[in-house]
Amino acid sequence: MKISPVLLNLFFLTCFCAIKAKIVNKNVERSLDLSSQLVKSTIKITAEDTTGKPLKEYVLILNEPNLSYISVTDGSKNEIQARKSNGGLQYVITFGSSSAHQIILVETVSTKNIMPYPEEIKQHEIQFAKYVGLVHLYSNYETYSQKTIVKLGTSNILSHTQVKPFSTATDKLIFGPYENIKALSKQELVIHYENQTPFMTVKNLERTIEVSHWGNIAIQESIQLAHSGAKLKGSFSRYDFQKDGRSSQSAIKSYRTILPSSASGVYYRDTNGNISTSNMNSLNDFIDLELRPRFPLFGGWKTQYTIGYNVPSYEYMYSNGKKYQLKMHLIDHIYDNMAIDKAAIKIVLPEGADNIQLTTPYTINRRQNELVHTYLDTVGRPVISFSKLNLVESHIADFTLNYTFSRVSLLQEPFLVSGFIYIIFVLTIVLLRLDFSIALHSHKD
Amino acid sequence: MDTMQRYVSPVNPAVFPHLATVLLIIGTFFTAWFFIFVVSKKNSKEKTLIKELLISLCASIFLGFGIVFLLLTVGIYV
Repeated sequence: MKISPVLLNLFFLTCFCAIKAKIVNKNVERSLDLSSQLVKSTIKITAEDTTGKPLKEYVLILNEPNLSYISVTDGSKNEIQARKSNGGLQYVITFGSSSAHQIILVETVSTKNIMPYPEEIKQHEIQFAKYVGLVHLYSNYETYSQKTIVKLGTSNILSHTQVKPFSTATDKLIFGPYENIKALSKQELVIHYENQTPFMTVKNLERTIEVSHWGNIAIQESIQLAHSGAKLKGSFSRYDFQKDGRSSQSAIKSYRTILPSSASGVYYRDTNGNISTSNMNSLNDFIDLELRPRFPLFGGWKTQYTIGYNVPSYEYMYSNGKKYQLKMHLIDHIYDNMAIDKAAIKIVLPEGADNIQLTTPYTINRRQNELVHTYLDTVGRPVISFSKLNLVESHIADFTLNYTFSRVSLLQEPFLVSGFIYIIFVLTIVLLRLDFSIALHSHKD
Repeated sequence: MDTMQRYVSPVNPAVFPHLATVLLIIGTFFTAWFFIFVVSKKNSKEKTLIKELLISLCASIFLGFGIVFLLLTVGIYV
């Protein structure tokens, strides 16, 4: 059944050809944001069927490697259905309303497409980056008019592809408007520019959410962080680094992590213990955590740490009789414009939780449920675990976990301790009644 | 989802430390009573088994709940 969407797609395409429906892109407006380590693009496509028939399906080709996030909406910001076909390179968009004139808004975020160039720099040198993309929107259909605005966040552009007409603004490059571009035209766009934002990648994130029905949810994130920008050439001089604050801007000195406002008992530590170079500011809507690694991170350098906090259960848990629902962020903010290579999430439920159902906002790679044994456990707590590759900030969304739990099971833990102590008492009673004396002797009281 | 209400702990987390203190004091009192009782028996043939079992049961229940609330107070959410 897996090939059916492709077949269906082909079928539709042939049908369209047969009835000579001619879809064109009347206008395409692209904006690329290359000012951070991520490529964020917004594409506004005004598509039209020139035969006047209602436009039902539109095939969008995305040839962007490492595509992390995509959202497709129509002109009035309503989500429209887009399904993957052709091995994930094509998205078939089906419109809800029938009109010959449709507006599609596509937002994508991709990682690892801005590469540091040169690949190695010295401590005091500026980091330059190179972006390779396409001048025109790669589309199945002919485009009447299109324009691309590239936001670079710097005016220091070393070189860029020159396809006339183009213009440069302070921190922007504007390509176009180009007219009458044929379908499937591919023209390379290369921009070589200064990009001093620290290229930070979370190589591995392990997030554990531990639910306690005594009113607490404990969250722990174990993070392996690497600087994925231009590698450091030569040796590192702490003296130069401290002396001139303006140099080595591409190094990671500190960054901000945002925690939920109800977080308490926050800790930031690594294998050595607490990392004291951190600051916490409680603001109205969130907690702002300024984290400073033990050493500044230069290109190719790595660090790892653990961050954890508690949140009260009433913020994220709902109940109705025996039914419980946990609703919270699948991943949370680590730093602005973050890129996570691999995230593994574990949810530890209390002992006795049953009928577990997980709903996620996007597809994840679910693993087998496990059992974990911690304090005062008998049979073990059920653990739901899953993983996902290539995540960005747009993936911060809520998952829903439904399960059943009996309130009486809460009493299991105190009675376990009581039982253990009672056994000691009974043993005392028995031992006091035994006579260990070797010879018989009578007490003279 | 619509019918669900926010889940609140059966015991207010703010009273965990007080509960732990009170329950542990009562538990320790019963434990002390138990040991004083068993060591100060005049005649070992006295039939005091039921009383001993009852005192130790009280002690263990209070100590058990006290220890659990102590764990909750210090941040081990069992």
